[in-house]
Amino acid sequence: MNNDKLVSIEEIIEGLKKAKEGVKKQPGLMKSTVGYLDAVSTYVERIATAKQDGKWVASHGTQQPLEILEAMDVRGVFNEFWGVVSDIVRLESVPAALSVSASTGTPAEVCSFFRNMDGLMHAGKWPRSDFFLYATSCCDNVKSFHTLGRRYGIPSFGLERSYFPYTAHAMEHWKNEYKRLIAFLEEQTGKKLDYDRLKETVRLSYRLTELHLEIDKLVSHVPCPLSPECFSGTLVAIRLLPGTQKGIDFLTELRDELQERVNAGIGAVRDERFRVMWSSFTPFFHPTLMSFMQQKYGAVSVADMLSHWRGQAKWMLDPDDPLGNLAYRTVVAPGNCQYSSGVDVGAVLSDKAYRFKVDAAIFNNNFGCKTGAGYGPVIKDELMRLVKVPTLTLDCDVLDHTFISRADVESQMDSFFEMIEGSKAYQERRALV
Amino acid sequence: MNAPLQTLTEMQRLSSPFPESVTVKDWQATGRKVIGWFNPYIPEEIIHAAGMLPFEVTGDNEPVQMQGAEAHMHSNSCSKIRTCWQMQLDGKYNFLDGLVSSHMCDQDMRLFEVWSYYKKLPYMDSLYAPRKRDEVAVKLYLTDLEGFRSRLSQFLICRVPDQHIENSIQVYNRGRELMHQLYELRKRDRPPVTGAEALEVSKASARMPRERFNELMEQLLAEIQRTGREIKKARRLMIIGNDLHNTTQVAALESADAVVVADEMDLGIRRAWGQVDTKLPPLEALARYYVLGRPVDKHTWDSDERLAFIGELAEQYQVDGIVSENVRFCTYLGWDKFDLKKQMQERGIPILELDLEYGHPGGAQMRIRAEAFLEMLESRAG
Repeated sequence: MNNDKLVSIEEIIEGLKKAKEGVKKQPGLMKSTVGYLDAVSTYVERIATAKQDGKWVASHGTQQPLEILEAMDVRGVFNEFWGVVSDIVRLESVPAALSVSASTGTPAEVCSFFRNMDGLMHAGKWPRSDFFLYATSCCDNVKSFHTLGRRYGIPSFGLERSYFPYTAHAMEHWKNEYKRLIAFLEEQTGKKLDYDRLKETVRLSYRLTELHLEIDKLVSHVPCPLSPECFSGTLVAIRLLPGTQKGIDFLTELRDELQERVNAGIGAVRDERFRVMWSSFTPFFHPTLMSFMQQKYGAVSVADMLSHWRGQAKWMLDPDDPLGNLAYRTVVAPGNCQYSSGVDVGAVLSDKAYRFKVDAAIFNNNFGCKTGAGYGPVIKDELMRLVKVPTLTLDCDVLDHTFISRADVESQMDSFFEMIEGSKAYQERRALV
Repeated sequence: MNAPLQTLTEMQRLSSPFPESVTVKDWQATGRKVIGWFNPYIPEEIIHAAGMLPFEVTGDNEPVQMQGAEAHMHSNSCSKIRTCWQMQLDGKYNFLDGLVSSHMCDQDMRLFEVWSYYKKLPYMDSLYAPRKRDEVAVKLYLTDLEGFRSRLSQFLICRVPDQHIENSIQVYNRGRELMHQLYELRKRDRPPVTGAEALEVSKASARMPRERFNELMEQLLAEIQRTGREIKKARRLMIIGNDLHNTTQVAALESADAVVVADEMDLGIRRAWGQVDTKLPPLEALARYYVLGRPVDKHTWDSDERLAFIGELAEQYQVDGIVSENVRFCTYLGWDKFDLKKQMQERGIPILELDLEYGHPGGAQMRIRAEAFLEMLESRAG
C-alpha cells in the first residue's frame, strides 16, 4: 500500500506555517486569525519537539485533565484534533489513512477520527507517543487506545468515570481516578508531580474559562462580531491549551478584538439574516462552507454545540485542591457534556440557542458517531420544542470528503434556509431583534 | 433424525407470542409488574427480589420492518437498538411497567433515553457498567446497585430487603448451574442439542420467572439423559460476537453439515458461567459477580482476557472453526477484530467473519458463506 498521501507531523507544521503566512497577506480577515493559527502551530510544534525538550507525549481522547499533563511535562496529542488538522493540511490524507485502517480489518462503521489514528499508526505516521490516555465517555471508541497500545507496545491508562457525575461519590471516584493517573504518569516518567506547579496550571486553566465566557457574551451580540476564520478559536484554546499561557494570550487577543468590533458595530457580514449553531463545525474538509453561507444566505455561524460550559462554569471551588477543581471542571467542560442524556444536552443547547439568538441549527450526523446518531433526533426535537429552532441534519462523515459532495451539502442548505425564512418562529424572532 | 425436545417446546410455548407471551399475561393478571432490561449489567436478581418479572428487551425470530424508528435514532445506530425501538413504536412492549439499562455501550443508553423522552414508563433507571475489572470498579458498580435498590424500593413503596436478594441469588445461581450443565453436555463428540435449540433455551431464561425456568431446565436435562439424544454432524462451530436473537441465523449455519457447540455471547455463556458468592453481603456479592465473576465481555477496555477466553473455549469444545458475527456499528467488536483474527490464527483456529444486521433472517447468503467456510474446514481436515 502506498502511504505517500498520509500527512506527517513535519508536513502539518509546514502546512500551518504556510497558512499563517497566507492569512497575513489576505485582506479582510480578523487580526486574531494569525494568533489562532499560531496557537494551533504551537500545539503541533510542542509535540514535534517534545523529545528534544525533555518532555513526554501522550496521545489521548476526551475528558483528559490536560492541566495535570502540563504540570508533569507531558504534551498531549488529541486524536480528534489530529484528524481535523490532517484534513486542513492535506485533504487526501484522511481517506488514505482510512484505507490503511480498513486493511487491518477495522470496520468502516467505526468513527473516522479513530480510524484515521489507526491508519496513521499502522503506517508509522502518527506522532511518536510515550503513552495513551483515555476515559469513559459517550464514545465507545476509546477502547481503541488500549487495543492500539497493546498492538504497538505503548503503555496506556484509562480513567473510569460514572455516568452520573454529580453525586458526591462520583466526584470522589473521579478525583481518585486522577490520583491513579498521576501514579501512572509518575511511574512512566520517573518524575514526581509538583503540586505547586499543578496549582499554577489549574489557575491558568480557570483564567482560560473566564476568557471563554467573556468571548461568548461578545459573540452573542447582534450582529455577530465573530468571523468564520476564528470560529473555532475558543474551542481550540479550551480543548488543546488549558493550563498554558499560550492559550490565555490567544483568547485575550481574540476577546479584545471582538470587543473592538462590537464597539464599532462590525459584524461578520453586513446583512445578518440568519444566526446558525453547528454541532461542532462544518464538515472539516469544507472549512470555507461558513464563508459560503455568509455570502449566499447572510447566515452567520455564531455557536457550536461542543464549546459550552454546563451551568455557571465556576469550577474553581478551592485553589488548594487542584484535583478536586479539575474533577469538577471535567464534568462541566466543553465537549465533555455529551457524556449525558440527549435531553440534558438538548436543554443546555436550547439555552445556548436562546442566548446566542440562534435561528437555525446544523447537526452533522457523522457516519461513525453512534452518540450523534442516538441523540441527534432528541436534540433536534428539544431545540424545536424549547426555542423553536429547526435543525438541518447533514448525513456525512466529518473527516472523509469522499462521503458526501459539496454540491449535495449546498443543495440541502438552499432548501433549509428557504424553509426557515418562511417560518413563523423565524419571523417572530426577527421582529424582536 | 432426533425428535423435538418436549421441554424446549414447552419453554417456547410459555415464551410465545413474543414478547407479550402467555407467561407475561399470566404474571400481570395477578397484578404483578414486569421490568424490561437491556444488557448484561442489570442484575435480574434485584428485580426478582422486588417481586417483579425481569424481561430482556430484544427482537426475536421475526425480522422487524423499520417504519418509524429512524425518526428517533439515525440509521447509523446499531440495528439492535433500532429494532427494539421499532417494536416499542409498534406497541409490542406496551406491557412493560419499567425499564432498566446500563451504560455498557453508548447505544444502549441512547435507546434508553429515546424511550424516556418519547414514551416514559412508570419506572425507568440506568446503571454504569465498569470498563475495568478491579476493586475500584467493583466499588463504583456497588454504589450504583445500592442506588438501584433504593429507587426500586421507592417505586414499590416497599424496601427490597437483603433477605429477598439473597433468596433471588440462590434461584439465579441454580439457573446458571443448570445452564452450565447443558453447556458441559455440548462438549460431547455428539452433543445432545443443536446451537439453535441451545439459543432458544437461553432466550427463554430471560423471558420467564426464573423458578419456572429452573424447573424446565431440570426437565430438559432429564429428557436429554432419558432419550440419549445425539446430533450427528461432521463439523463443530462456535459463535462469538453480538447477541443473536433470531435463531434462524444459527439454524442457517447448521443447515450444512455442522453443529454449533459453544458461543461467546452475553445471552449465552455469560448467563451460564460462574456463581454469585452467597457468603458475602448480597449487593456486594452481586457487584463482584457482575464485574469480576463472568467471562470478560466486549465492552471491557482490556480485551486480552476476552480473546484468551475465546481461544480456550474453542479448544475445550474442540471446535473446527469460529463464526464471528458483528452487528454493524458495534464499536467494541470492531476494535477487537484485528487481534482476534491474529490470536486465533496463532492457535490455528479458522474464523468466518459475518457482518450482520440484527434480526435479519438467516438467508441464502449466510448459508452460502457457511458452506464455503465448511468446505475450507473440510479441506484443512483432509
